[in-house]
Amino acid sequence: MIQTITLEQTLPAVFAGSEGEPPVSRSQVWLRDVIFSRPDYYMIEAESGTGKSSLCAYIYGSRVDYSGRILFDGIDTRTLDINRWSALRREALAYLPQEMMLFPELTVMENIAIKNRLTDCKSTAEIEQMLARLEIDDKRNTPAGRLSVGQQQRVAIIRSLCQPFDFLLVDEPVSHLDARNNAAVAALIDAEASARGAAVIATSVGNKISLPNLNILML
Amino acid sequence: MSKEKSRNALVRRLLRRNISAGQLIGFALANLVGLTIVLVAMQFYRDVTTAWEGSDSFISRDYMIISRHVTGLGNLTGDNPMAFTPEAVAEIERQPWAERVGSFTAAEFNVYASLEMGNSNIGTALFLESIPSSFFDELPARWSYTPGRSEPVPIILSRDYLTLYNFGFAASRGLPQISEQMIGKVPLRLSLSGNGHQQYVEARVVGFSSRLNTIAVPEEFMTWANDRFAEPGRDNYPSRLIIELSKPGDPAATDFMKAHGYDIAGDRMDNSRAAFFLGLVTSVVIVVGAVISLLAFFILLLSIYLLLQKNRRKIHELMQLGYRPGEIAVHYNMLVAAVNLAVLVVASAVTAVGASMWKEPLDSIGVNGAPLWPTVAVGVAIIALITVGSIVAINRRVKSVFRI
Repeated sequence: MIQTITLEQTLPAVFAGSEGEPPVSRSQVWLRDVIFSRPDYYMIEAESGTGKSSLCAYIYGSRVDYSGRILFDGIDTRTLDINRWSALRREALAYLPQEMMLFPELTVMENIAIKNRLTDCKSTAEIEQMLARLEIDDKRNTPAGRLSVGQQQRVAIIRSLCQPFDFLLVDEPVSHLDARNNAAVAALIDAEASARGAAVIATSVGNKISLPNLNILML
Repeated sequence: MSKEKSRNALVRRLLRRNISAGQLIGFALANLVGLTIVLVAMQFYRDVTTAWEGSDSFISRDYMIISRHVTGLGNLTGDNPMAFTPEAVAEIERQPWAERVGSFTAAEFNVYASLEMGNSNIGTALFLESIPSSFFDELPARWSYTPGRSEPVPIILSRDYLTLYNFGFAASRGLPQISEQMIGKVPLRLSLSGNGHQQYVEARVVGFSSRLNTIAVPEEFMTWANDRFAEPGRDNYPSRLIIELSKPGDPAATDFMKAHGYDIAGDRMDNSRAAFFLGLVTSVVIVVGAVISLLAFFILLLSIYLLLQKNRRKIHELMQLGYRPGEIAVHYNMLVAAVNLAVLVVASAVTAVGASMWKEPLDSIGVNGAPLWPTVAVGVAIIALITVGSIVAINRRVKSVFRI
C-alpha cells in the first residue's frame, strides 16, 4: 500500500547543467519537492521534450537516470529490488505507458488476460463490461496489431485497470481519442480509482483527460 | 485449465515465437556428439580395465619385479653377476619413479618338496624366495611363521606354475589336473638341508599370484631357515628386486631397466604398459569429447542469448506488467532442461548399446566389464552442470532486461 509518492529535487540526467534554463527553471516538478497523495488526481502538463514519459518511467521504476530522490511513503525507490518492483506493479502501481506495450500477436482478450491472470483481479464478465463501455467489445478476438491506435489505447487502459492499485500512472491516455471516448475513458478511470481510493497521475501535451478536480502541475 | 496454467501458456506462446529450431537442433546434436564420446570412452575404458584390476589381490600392478639379464653361464668363480649390489639398489631407490624398493631373499639351502597323491609320491627339488610382507597389498590368510611351532609354512605359488603343470605336464602324462582350491588342501612336506643340518617341515599352498613369479614364503621363515641351513660367509645380495612405482606402467622405469640391462619379470608389465597407454588414449578421447561438449554449451548459450535478444522488448514489457524475472526465465529454463534431458537419454542409450556390442568379444577373452551406472552418473553430472550454467545465464540475462 502506497499513500504518498514524493519527488525530492528530481531531475533527469539529460537536464544536468541546464538547471537555470527552461524548461527546468520554470518547471513545477523538476528540482522541486512534490508530493502526490491518495486519493487526489494530478495532471502533469508538458510540452514535448520536457521529460514527461521519463517522469512516468522514473516513478514506475523502469528507469533510474535521474538525480534527486523519488520516495514511496518515505522509502527511496532506488533501494527496491526487482522482485519488490514486480510486487508493486501487481498490487500498488498501475501504469499506462504512452507506447501502450500491447503484444501485437495476441488478441485483445489475451492482451488483457496476460495481465489479469497475474493479478486475478477482474472476472471475464467485468472485462467484457469495460470493453463494452469503451466500445471495443467487438474487437475482443482481434490481434492487437490490427487495431487502430485509438483502439489500442482503450485496450491498454482496460489492461492497466486489471489490478489493484494505489496510484494509476497514465501517460497521455487520450492522445488518440475523440471527446466522446475521452469522456468514456475518464469516467471509467474515475470509477475504478475512486472505488479503490486511489490517486491518478495523468500527463498530457495537449489533449487532456477530462477527470474531475485535477491538480495541474506544469512540467 | 487453471488460471496459472493458462497464464503460463500465454506467456510461453509469446516467448517461444522467435525460437530457432535449427539452432536448438544444432546445439542438441553437438552436445549429443560430445557427451556420447565422453561416455562411450569412459565406459570402454572401465570395461577393459576390469581385466587388470582385481585379478591379483596380493600384489598390485604398481609393482615391478626385476632381475639382471642372463648373459651366459654366469661367473662361476667370483662375485655373483646375477646379484644386485647395494650400490645398484641405492641407484634404483634414487629414481623419481621408485616409491620403495624391496629385495627378494633367496633360500641358500636345499629344499626338497614331496606330496602324496593316492599311492604315488611325487617329489621335486624346489627353490624358495621371500619378499618383505609390506609389499603385499593384502596379506594371504595365515601368512606368518613362527619357528618351532608345528603350523605349516604358507606358500604363494606363481599361477604360471600351476598352468604349466595342468596344461603341459598333467595333460601329456594322463595325470589329473589340479584346481587352485584342491592344491590348497594338499599337505606338502619340505625337506630343508644344508650347513650340516636337515629338517622336515609341513607346508601348505595358501594362494596363487599372477604377478609374483616365484615360490614365496614368509620373511620370518626365510630368515630362520637361512640362519640355520645356509653356509656361513656367503654374500646376501638379492638377485631380484621388487619396486613399487609411483605411477603404474611409467615408461621412465622401463627405459631405465633397459638401459641397465635389467629384466622385468613376466609379461604382466605389458599389461600395465597397455593400461598406461589405454589410459592415455582414453584421456585424449575424453578431453576431445569434453571440448565438443563445452563448445556445444557455448552454442546453446549463444542461441539463448540471441533468442533473449530477439525477445528483449517482450521480456521487458512482461516485467513492466509485473511479471517476475523468474516467471519469464522459467520458460527458457524448461526448454533448455528438456533438450538437455533428451541429449542425456540418447547419449546414455548409445553408450549402453555400444557397451553391449563390445561385451561379447570382451566376454570371450574373460573380461567381465564394469557396471554402466557410474558412467551414466557422470553423464548426469555433466548435463546437470550444463543445465545449471545455462539457467544461471538465462536468469541473469532476463534480469538485465528489467531496465532498458
